[in-house]
Amino acid sequence: MSTQDPMPSNGLEDEEDDYMNMVIAEPTKPREKETYTQRRLRKEREAEARGRVKSKAEQAADEAAAREAALSTSLFADPQTTTTNKGLAMMAKMGFKPGVALGSKVNSGARTEPIVISMKEDRGGIGLDSEKKRKFRVEVEQEGKRVKAEEGEYRERLRKEREEVRLEGQVGAAMRVAERLYAEKEEDSAQQDGTEDASSRRKISSKPLKQINVLWRGLVRKREEKERDRRMRYDLQQSLSRLPTYDDPDEDRDDRKALGKDRVQHTLVEDLEEEDPELDEFNSLDPAYRLEKLVRHLREEYHYCFWCKYTYPDQEMEGCPGLTEEEHD
Amino acid sequence: MADRRPEEPEMSRAKRPRTDDPSQNPYLAHMYEAQDTSDYNGYNRSNGSGTKARTGLSDFKRHATTALQAHDAEDGPNNPFNNAPLSKQYFNILKTRRDLPVHKQRQEFLDMFHKSQILVFVGETGSGKTTQIPQFVLFDDLPHFSGKLVACTQPRRVAATSVAQRVANEMDVKLGDEVGYSIRFEDVSGPKTILKYMTDGMLLREAMHDHNLTRYSCIILDEAHERTLATDLLMGLLKEIALRRPDLKIVVMSATLDAQKFQRYFNDAPLLAVPGRTHPVEIFYTPEPERDYVEAALRTVLQIHATEPEGDILLFLTGEEEIEDACRKITLEADEMIREADAGPLKVYPLYGNLPPQQQQRIFEPAPPPTRPGGRPGRKVIVGTNVAETSLTIDGIVYVVDPGFSKQKVYNPRIRVESLLVSPISKASAQQRAGRAGRTRPGKCFRLYTEAAFKKELIEQTYPEILRSNLANTVLELKKLGVDDLVHFDLMDPPAPETLMRALEELNYLACLDDDGDLTALGKLASEFPLDPSLAVMLISSPEFYCSNEILSLTALLSVPQIFVRPASARKRADEMKALFAHPDGDHLTMLNVYHAFKGAEAQADPKRWCHEHFISLRALQSADNVRQQLKRIMEKSELDLVSTDFNDKDYYTNIRRALVAGFFMQVAKKDPSGKTYKTVKDDQSVLLHPSTVLGVDSEWVVYNEFVLTTKNYVRTVTAVRPEWLLDIAPTYYDLATFPKGEVRTALQRTLDKIKRKQAMKGGR
Repeated sequence: MSTQDPMPSNGLEDEEDDYMNMVIAEPTKPREKETYTQRRLRKEREAEARGRVKSKAEQAADEAAAREAALSTSLFADPQTTTTNKGLAMMAKMGFKPGVALGSKVNSGARTEPIVISMKEDRGGIGLDSEKKRKFRVEVEQEGKRVKAEEGEYRERLRKEREEVRLEGQVGAAMRVAERLYAEKEEDSAQQDGTEDASSRRKISSKPLKQINVLWRGLVRKREEKERDRRMRYDLQQSLSRLPTYDDPDEDRDDRKALGKDRVQHTLVEDLEEEDPELDEFNSLDPAYRLEKLVRHLREEYHYCFWCKYTYPDQEMEGCPGLTEEEHD
Repeated sequence: MADRRPEEPEMSRAKRPRTDDPSQNPYLAHMYEAQDTSDYNGYNRSNGSGTKARTGLSDFKRHATTALQAHDAEDGPNNPFNNAPLSKQYFNILKTRRDLPVHKQRQEFLDMFHKSQILVFVGETGSGKTTQIPQFVLFDDLPHFSGKLVACTQPRRVAATSVAQRVANEMDVKLGDEVGYSIRFEDVSGPKTILKYMTDGMLLREAMHDHNLTRYSCIILDEAHERTLATDLLMGLLKEIALRRPDLKIVVMSATLDAQKFQRYFNDAPLLAVPGRTHPVEIFYTPEPERDYVEAALRTVLQIHATEPEGDILLFLTGEEEIEDACRKITLEADEMIREADAGPLKVYPLYGNLPPQQQQRIFEPAPPPTRPGGRPGRKVIVGTNVAETSLTIDGIVYVVDPGFSKQKVYNPRIRVESLLVSPISKASAQQRAGRAGRTRPGKCFRLYTEAAFKKELIEQTYPEILRSNLANTVLELKKLGVDDLVHFDLMDPPAPETLMRALEELNYLACLDDDGDLTALGKLASEFPLDPSLAVMLISSPEFYCSNEILSLTALLSVPQIFVRPASARKRADEMKALFAHPDGDHLTMLNVYHAFKGAEAQADPKRWCHEHFISLRALQSADNVRQQLKRIMEKSELDLVSTDFNDKDYYTNIRRALVAGFFMQVAKKDPSGKTYKTVKDDQSVLLHPSTVLGVDSEWVVYNEFVLTTKNYVRTVTAVRPEWLLDIAPTYYDLATFPKGEVRTALQRTLDKIKRKQAMKGGR
């Protein structure tokens, strides 16, 4: 290869030719196009590579690679050998042609290549190497499987989580619908009763939590908790004395009313602090199940299909494809 | 020289072939034998004709005998081959011999042997083929009447010597007379020899000088399934010789595995199979792969000793160091078991190729008796390499512990690295190992691997050596054997073409082959030496560098196993001792210092103690001495001068280092400017100096003896050289035009410029 190298060079670079070609696979482009900077950079890189002392392992690897390369290349493949080798010339005189085996013509088993040299580096018994390889292979396979399994699990988990979040959102939406429909129904019935008053909404909210249908009680509770927190933060900002639970002995009833400190508020807070095993139980249910319950409730009570977003006029709910989301796809 | 005194007797011995008895020289043997055989072709051997009349073989008709005739002849009363009265021991052994499975098929064997030139014989271990078939052949082939020999090759030296001894006993003759053996650097045979066990390598060397192997009337290749390089070459060669010599009989013996492959290769030769006399072996696998096979092996051995009934144990490990270490540990643990748990005595024997013969023989000692009457029986444990797998039969083994590894030499032509690496055995090998447990009675084999691993991880057959070796030496041998078309030479498993190319290339650079692929004078000379071409060339060129004595020693030292001992228990001390001999310019010179010190008076007074004190392997040095002596004979025969530079001359060591370059210029590494690593020249591989080297890392250029691959790339046994020498001594290899651009080429260019400047300056003056 060095003879084909067009690089005009001094002796030093000649010596390192092989070495260089191994380290830097560069001269694919014609040399003329190399700019000054490129040339300088290349020289720098070459010098660096030359200057670096190779580690023992690298040297050994290089050595083995050079040996393997030489061992696996037929001498007849080298044009210099085929043209100048006197041994080959003598053989040619005896009628030899490269590629043909020696010996009697009827001997078909004659070899054309030398025996491959393999080195044994330890005292491992026969089959140990292949056993090691086999074990290694099995291990790699198992590791691969494990990783895959984990990967699958992870994906599954993610999917599940995402699904739950989605369902949870739908549960929330269904709760809101249920609450709204319930309120509308209450309003309707109140109007029908003629006993409506402006604070009907307020009545709902002031209704003790435990009296609200468990299906959407969570929603109300959450809202009230939020409200309470907001209030508490607000009260805190006002002053210690303004704490809702603070009873100012100087304050009279009117003051209280003026300040908006209703009894209701207090009960609400107390309400929130109370344990609610029914709700907890409901909340611990699978979101899909809760959603189903809500959807069912909406259909039964209001002929409303959560998926169609439509209130049907009768119990038959004609036109609605079914109970589940899939049926509405 | 320091080794003057002790060398004197050696000199006189070395001179012997020239003066007294050249036929004693194994490297000259072929010449004399060939001469002899031509004489014998007309008449019978003088003493043989006298014997012939009196022996029980006189009315045998060659290649027409029967098992019954042989049976009668064996029954005596006199030895059919030398007419001596047969001993009582002979008849005892004869009885057991006739119980061997092959004996039942003796007639069948003879029938096939008569009919066919090439015969494939398959016998499981324990069939008795290695000891009996050659004797069957002797009684039929009657080589002594025609002045010929029967050769039976063995892949290993241990096997050749021990089987020869056994067969000599069986035939009631003295080893070296009728039955002999020939291994590298050791020939125990004589003029009377009619059956020669030899390593396959030795037969191959003989074939170099006698292309038709005319000395032999029958050649038996034993343990052919082991597929050593030499056996593979011999098979290719015999396939051709069989056509040229119709009178030559060839028997290829193998264990059952892959027998058809041999049949096919030898043009569908007939096959005779004999069942082994083996007992069932129960095989146990571990439920889990072992973390540490050595530890598991020790545990298993001790477990067997503690819980299993009487019977010896054979444990297979990979190498000398591992085996010695295991032996030590087993002995220690067993001693404790004896003290504390009243276990029976346990005797542990190592077994590996480099073990000296007398130590190898010790494995045949019987197991130790109980420590007290009525106590628990003793047991012996043999901890061995592959040697114990097929070639050696050790009776009494009931338990085999097989961790499933062996050390294999694998050469790769691409980066020219030759290395000994521990690698899993083949299924065939595992079966062989298990079979060792069932020789005397039903046994157990504990495989320290799972059944699934056995089925899935082990290859069917072990790669034959020819596929795992650098073929430079082989090519030189083949050329010397008269094989010119190396490309189409019909080998059972032809090597990779790149390996052949490398071999030819290297030989060309070493100037052993010219550009046409023909042997040069140097190549012919180099092939005389049982050495790798680079070592041979170094040795041959050493007189030019005035240091042939030293290079001769060094070559011998490089041909034997590690001379430095470094026990785990005393590493520091061993290193300190080694430092005493250290030469700053490298390991080759350090080894030479050791050798010279060893040859000194002080060491020779008590070599054993001296070696022990200095952490030197006496064994290795002794065998180096032996090798040196043999090589010296070849040098003398080849009229290569044995010279030395004066030790006080400043060029004493420089000359040696230069001579090193003459042989090893292709195994040079240059230091990387960046750090501690070196790069091999031409192949451009990053290597580290082996930690055992005495050389500091400030040497710019080094020659190395070997490039080994372990967890890192190491070059071992290194010596510093100067780049000027490379350019001067091996100009063809260091022709800069052939080098890829890079650090090495630049550095060589600088050196070249410097030389030129100097020359110019000299010229100017």
